[in-house]
Amino acid sequence: MRKTNIVIIAVMSVLLFGLAVFAWVKPADEYSLSERRRLSQRPELTAESLLAGGDKSFMTKFEDYATDQFPLRDEFRTVYSVVSLYALAEKEINGIYLMGRHAVKVEYPLDQVSIDWALERFSDLNARFFQGRPVYLCVIPDKNYFLAKESGHPSLDYEALFAELREKTADYAEYVDVTGLLDVGDYYYTDTHWRQDKITDVAEYLAQQMGTEAYDSYRTMTLDTPFYGVYYGQAALPLAPDSLTYLTNDEMEGLEVLCLDNGTPEANPLYDLEKAAGKDGYELFLSGSKALITMENPNAATDKELVIFRDSFGSSLAPLLTHGYRKVTLVDVRYISPRYLNNFVDFENADILLLYSTTLLNDSRRLLLE
Amino acid sequence: MLFSSIVFLFYFLPVVLLLYLAAPRKLKNLALLVCSLVFYAWGEPKYVLLMTVSIVIGYVCGIQIEKHRGGLAGKVWMALSVVFSLGFLFYFKYVDFFLDSFSKATGLSIKLLGIALPIGISFYTFQMLSYTIDVYRGQVKAQRNLLNLATYIAMFPQLIAGPIVRYSDIEHSLTERAHTVERTALGIRRFTLGLGKKVIIANSLGELCNVLVEPQAASVVSYWAYAVTAALFIYFDFSGYSDMAIGLGRIFGFEFPENFNYPFLSGSMTEFWRRWHMTLGGWFRDYLYIPLGGSRVSKVRQFVNIFIVWLATGLWHGAAWNYVIWGLYFAVLLILEKFWLKDFLDKHRIAGRVYFLVLVLFSFVIFHADNVSLAGSMLAGMFGAGGVNFVTSYSLYCLRNYAVILVVAVFGATPLAARAFAKLQKNKTGAAVCSVAEPIGLALIFIVATAFLVNGSYNPFLYFRF
Repeated sequence: MRKTNIVIIAVMSVLLFGLAVFAWVKPADEYSLSERRRLSQRPELTAESLLAGGDKSFMTKFEDYATDQFPLRDEFRTVYSVVSLYALAEKEINGIYLMGRHAVKVEYPLDQVSIDWALERFSDLNARFFQGRPVYLCVIPDKNYFLAKESGHPSLDYEALFAELREKTADYAEYVDVTGLLDVGDYYYTDTHWRQDKITDVAEYLAQQMGTEAYDSYRTMTLDTPFYGVYYGQAALPLAPDSLTYLTNDEMEGLEVLCLDNGTPEANPLYDLEKAAGKDGYELFLSGSKALITMENPNAATDKELVIFRDSFGSSLAPLLTHGYRKVTLVDVRYISPRYLNNFVDFENADILLLYSTTLLNDSRRLLLE
Repeated sequence: MLFSSIVFLFYFLPVVLLLYLAAPRKLKNLALLVCSLVFYAWGEPKYVLLMTVSIVIGYVCGIQIEKHRGGLAGKVWMALSVVFSLGFLFYFKYVDFFLDSFSKATGLSIKLLGIALPIGISFYTFQMLSYTIDVYRGQVKAQRNLLNLATYIAMFPQLIAGPIVRYSDIEHSLTERAHTVERTALGIRRFTLGLGKKVIIANSLGELCNVLVEPQAASVVSYWAYAVTAALFIYFDFSGYSDMAIGLGRIFGFEFPENFNYPFLSGSMTEFWRRWHMTLGGWFRDYLYIPLGGSRVSKVRQFVNIFIVWLATGLWHGAAWNYVIWGLYFAVLLILEKFWLKDFLDKHRIAGRVYFLVLVLFSFVIFHADNVSLAGSMLAGMFGAGGVNFVTSYSLYCLRNYAVILVVAVFGATPLAARAFAKLQKNKTGAAVCSVAEPIGLALIFIVATAFLVNGSYNPFLYFRF
């Protein structure tokens, strides 16, 4: 018994003091690649911060710092996920569940306030800019649409949601249903987004509905660097990475892509290979989050213009629509208020496409600007 | 600072252990006191002063009570000690509650004082009172060394969440205590198991409680599941914390009293309160119920005494009406058992268990609710009031999601695992297996608990606010 006692003291001391010393000497990391967020830094110790209450106090900030900067943080998060998923048989980890190779974020319940907010924003855009223009609404289902029922996870009532969106925008927008063209194989395994190489049929159908045409053919390019999508980090499970693929052709290579986020047009890559190797590989497409992007195609099949109000799903789809339009403008009203759009976007003679994912619509109260 | 936090485990505790080990025998109490004050200041820097004043008052009163014991002056000093201790407690914990209740009852608009509750004030006030009352009764000698008394009151392992350690429990250990390999290993075992109970089981059950009250889960099944989960959550939360406190106490050479003894095995409410938060029940028995006359008075007086004790018990847990109702609920049940049901429950153990389990669940719903109205609607929901569904697919999903942790919790709330472990150790092979498996098991629990904390999962602690 004494021997066991000594072993217990030794083992636990090594664990406690070993991890403690590691925590004290480990340099602080700025950023967590897996969680895609900045990590708390060591707070400054002052009399004011010591006596401040709540979130501003030194103690609270130090607790955040200690947890964020804990040594082997990613490995410990994986231990948590593995124990929760396999030992405790929990059906979701940090809101993520696995179905085959797919990591999926539970999207439940329906946030009616957000749906109403999105509809109000669409209506407001219509009143401000769309008068007399052809407007199309296309909603992209998240992966739960294909997997939740089978896996037994709660999910939105998608048909009711689509019906509501269709009905409440019917007086100014034509609803384009693309759900029949999609299946879960069209999405990345570890990410929320769809794969550009799997949505050419969606682009074709949308172009057709809008009275133009999409490209006939593409060259498929696959990157060597592994792509760990947003759900990979959130799940903290040892999942196999995706590979990033993009589509191009001679005409697309002639596109002039400009970003207007700084007030003046700046060249922006159609496919940003540098960002593809960065913290979010999906930023390959049009360099990720941008408020305003224009793509001009001197070789377009028509002289028409298209304005797409979109979320990140639009970054990979929009390039595929450039054959049918001389100019495509992408607007992300998460980053620019519609009040300023008149300064940058010409809606005269433009077709309008509202292209949003269910994930964004269900959280739009927090995301879409007035 | 919670024991179940990265800061405590990997910043505070290692430093304290090193300081304590390095300190010569005569300075160990000083080391422990300084560390305890830092521990307390981490949560409430300004209230260190309040605790220090309480300690000094208790110290002076203790000496004066002993000096004048048996005389009027002794009584005056005793009264002063009670007035100061309960006065601080009343002012910091209850004054806003009473002002608010008075405002609502009279329709007057009285401005609340907005006083923040000093952490652990209910615990250290009761410890100080037990000391001065025991000195008054001649059961312990007054502590002449302020450092020793301050170490007893402020000792961080039991400072903010108990167990309520009486001075008599550790009087001797304050000056003479042994630090042995066996006690240290026992302390580590207890602390680690408590950490696992709190972080892995209780926190998961806390998450389940939260999702079961979401509107899409609302159903008869989810309300009953909530009641069961809340009971288990509070048990694992508090008993896990008590285990950590007892374990830390052992590491530092103290033997703290037990606080829980498998309460859900009870066959009656009377038995439940002999197994649940035992140090609090014992405190009220010895320092309130018996001084009021206990059971040696008329039946009517006993009723009154029980109501007073349980009103105080309810209020001790929190300055809110649901705690008052919770306390009075137990008062009614304990009176019923004491005077009418005891024989029946003794004879019919199975019926007693069913009666106990159902009624104790109601008590946890009242206890865990944010307010009386919410408690009422949940209790009503358990019986389908308000047209609530019998079950929803989301409530079933939540239960499936946490099914394993629920089974582990139910199993862990019984002595089966402890008995199986003890039985295994009785034979030679079993003992050999245990000698290898136990350190590995403890290390795994520690690593997994750390992983849960690093992941930043739900980590409240209910008794922190008492």
